[in-house]
Amino acid sequence: MNYKIRKLITNWRIILLALFIIISLIAIHPALSKGVAIRNVMTNSSASIAGIPQPKPNVQPVQRERIISLNNAPIDDVESYYKSTASIGVNRTFQIKTTKGAYKLAKTSEDIGLRVYEAPKTNIRKGLDLQGGTRVLLQPEVKLSQFDMSVLIDNMKERLNVYGLSDIVIKDANDLVGNQYIVVEIAGATEEEIKDLLARQGKFEAKIGNKTVFRGGNDIVYVARSANEAGIDPSAGCSASGSQWFCRFRFSITLSQEAAQRQADATKGLTVVYDPVSGRSDYLSEKLELYLDDKKVDELNIGADLKGEAITQIAISGSGAGANNQEAIFNSLQNMKRLQTILITGSLPVKLDIVKTDAISPVLGEGFVKNAILMSLLAIASVAVVIGIRYRKMLIAIPILITMLSEVIILLGVAAFIGWNIDMAAIAGILVAIGTGVDDQIVITDETLKGETANVYNWKEKVKRAFLIIMLAYLTVVVAMTPLIFAGAGLLKGFAITTIIGATIGVFVTRPAYSAFVEIMLK
Amino acid sequence: MEQKNTEQKKSIKNTLFEVYDKKYKLLLIIPFIMLFLALIQIGYQLYSTGDFIQKDVSLKGGVTITIPYDKNIDTSQIEKQVSSRFPKNDIAVRTLRSAGTLVGVIVEADIDGNDKLQVDRLLDSIGDALKIDLSKVDYGIEIIGSSLGASFFRESLVALAVAFLFMGLVVFIYFRTFIPSIAVVLAAFSDMVVALAVINLLDIKIGTAGIAAFLMLIGYSVDTDILLTVRVLKRKEGTVMDRIISSIKTGMTMTVTAIISIIVALAVTQSEVIRQIMLILLIGLIADIFNTWIQNVGLLRIYVEKKAKKGIHI
Repeated sequence: MNYKIRKLITNWRIILLALFIIISLIAIHPALSKGVAIRNVMTNSSASIAGIPQPKPNVQPVQRERIISLNNAPIDDVESYYKSTASIGVNRTFQIKTTKGAYKLAKTSEDIGLRVYEAPKTNIRKGLDLQGGTRVLLQPEVKLSQFDMSVLIDNMKERLNVYGLSDIVIKDANDLVGNQYIVVEIAGATEEEIKDLLARQGKFEAKIGNKTVFRGGNDIVYVARSANEAGIDPSAGCSASGSQWFCRFRFSITLSQEAAQRQADATKGLTVVYDPVSGRSDYLSEKLELYLDDKKVDELNIGADLKGEAITQIAISGSGAGANNQEAIFNSLQNMKRLQTILITGSLPVKLDIVKTDAISPVLGEGFVKNAILMSLLAIASVAVVIGIRYRKMLIAIPILITMLSEVIILLGVAAFIGWNIDMAAIAGILVAIGTGVDDQIVITDETLKGETANVYNWKEKVKRAFLIIMLAYLTVVVAMTPLIFAGAGLLKGFAITTIIGATIGVFVTRPAYSAFVEIMLK
Repeated sequence: MEQKNTEQKKSIKNTLFEVYDKKYKLLLIIPFIMLFLALIQIGYQLYSTGDFIQKDVSLKGGVTITIPYDKNIDTSQIEKQVSSRFPKNDIAVRTLRSAGTLVGVIVEADIDGNDKLQVDRLLDSIGDALKIDLSKVDYGIEIIGSSLGASFFRESLVALAVAFLFMGLVVFIYFRTFIPSIAVVLAAFSDMVVALAVINLLDIKIGTAGIAAFLMLIGYSVDTDILLTVRVLKRKEGTVMDRIISSIKTGMTMTVTAIISIIVALAVTQSEVIRQIMLILLIGLIADIFNTWIQNVGLLRIYVEKKAKKGIHI
């Protein structure tokens, strides 16, 4: 027996499986998180003024900033958070302690501007149908090129950022006949909020000293974005200053004749300012301020040569800094892209039709999760019972049970690692992958232990024969699922991908481990 | 008496085996009649409703409202009450159950979801029928435009056709023979068609999840068919019949295990998505027993016989 156990733990197939499980557990990162996690910080609210940062969307759920206490009273759940904040009177100051630091807030209105949710206990991101939230599928009224589509999506992201919504997914989806869709998912937001947000036309305005000179739409005719018209300014380039690197970018925009005239009128009365640092007089006394939906998002210096001139082609430049050359280039290009996106807002007159909305209340979602877990466990247990009865050997039933559970863990690990949302369709996919996996386990068991062939071939040959059937069945399933990835606006993408990944893990990781186990223990 | 009984049992078993072994061509009638009847049902459905399945709102477009609710209700009564306010629309009320107890009510209506007035009117009438104030309840609402459902459905059919083509190709590349490859694809096709006909007869509406379930059937279906084909064509030990019997032992273990776990999942689940998927899989797997062990076996044996006539023994 000892010999067998030693053989088991030194078998490379079993070690490989164990490695996969360990890596998956690290990716899932189960944690006993306390407090409530911050989902969104509203702009200009008490919370954002106090310096609580907007959570970045790509942060793993467990690493999210969590509120632990409020005025030293512990916060355990969403309910206690809302009770505590409501109990503080307006115009009072209070302290919030989070996992990343302590903040002093002044309560200026009833809403302190934080949106919170139960602290996530693992890195598995639940799909909207499991955690509550809203998903909207939009279709552009006219067909867009791939380039315009990406501009539109960047644009929407920029706008939703202005509203302080970070836990949000915007992506494009296509179907086989070339229909284009945009999927917007906002966890924890209500349907009304999203519809309201999307219904608003992106309003862009550029002002000089409170005078609007141009708006998005007809005023900005063209924003240069191609590589040779926009990028790092070749005449200025990058330079180091102290420990920092700076790069300048430039791109040009084309204004309509009317907008150029308004610009000329607005700059006519401005003065050219002398900059004592550079010793030059490059810019005018007022800046060009950019507003998105009435919120100031950026400002630009106006070149002295533009004063009072109705020029339609304007060069726009700016800079970015970084610790080294690469970082400075990256940051300045990032800044440039953001500026371009803002300027384009509204100049893409595409109407978006809402073709589908799902709003799931978090209450329903919570019950669904518990129920889905219970169902999966019972289904897995029932397989083990049936196998146990059929073969009358615990040494077959238990490893099949372990194999199924490892497949669940590894699949969830993959999901946590690549930041995929587990929704109902994905759970169905997991169950199918495990189900066909059981089929394969049965083939391995029967090919190696049962029947007339048992004494004819050596063990290696028998395993080879079992895997021949398994590989063929695997390939057929993969080719059958592949078309689904591309069909129908991605509605079944989650299901198809889960099935394929699950079957792949099964064939290359868990099945070999199972056959190694059977060989060592039962040969 | 006891003795006689077991003898009788034995002889029944022997006769059954005899029939299965010798009359396999005649037995082929069973799966083909099943397939034929299923196709007639689907044809009739197409003729009488204009569609070969009953689409739910996720394919047709409309509104689905899910309300947590735990008192026992008469769904047909609620349906009548809500329908009376929407005489032109198709309203369906279902209950959401978990382990037998009611946890919620689902109302589906093919109204225009982007028309806020209509949706509010629907919510009002549901609230009245259930005698609850919906503004105090955390309900879920799903709205689907009609064009999306239609295009999704078309796309799924294309995806299905492509899936069949690829599958046939993989099997053909491996076995390099025509009839066995066709038999595998035909079995998967028959599973789906029979499951579809039964779902129609049970008056169940199919949504996007159901389409996924039909595709999943492919996976389970090919498992048994490939097991059978590999054992019969690529193995040398025993007679063809021996290899078939050993395949049945393995294959039935697979199918029975799957069926039992599906029944467990069906009993426990609360999710309409999972329920629909499991039900379709259950029917498909039962059909698969006939389509693999009578249809596919029959076609394979005809193929083997033809080869034997040409002097090639498998």
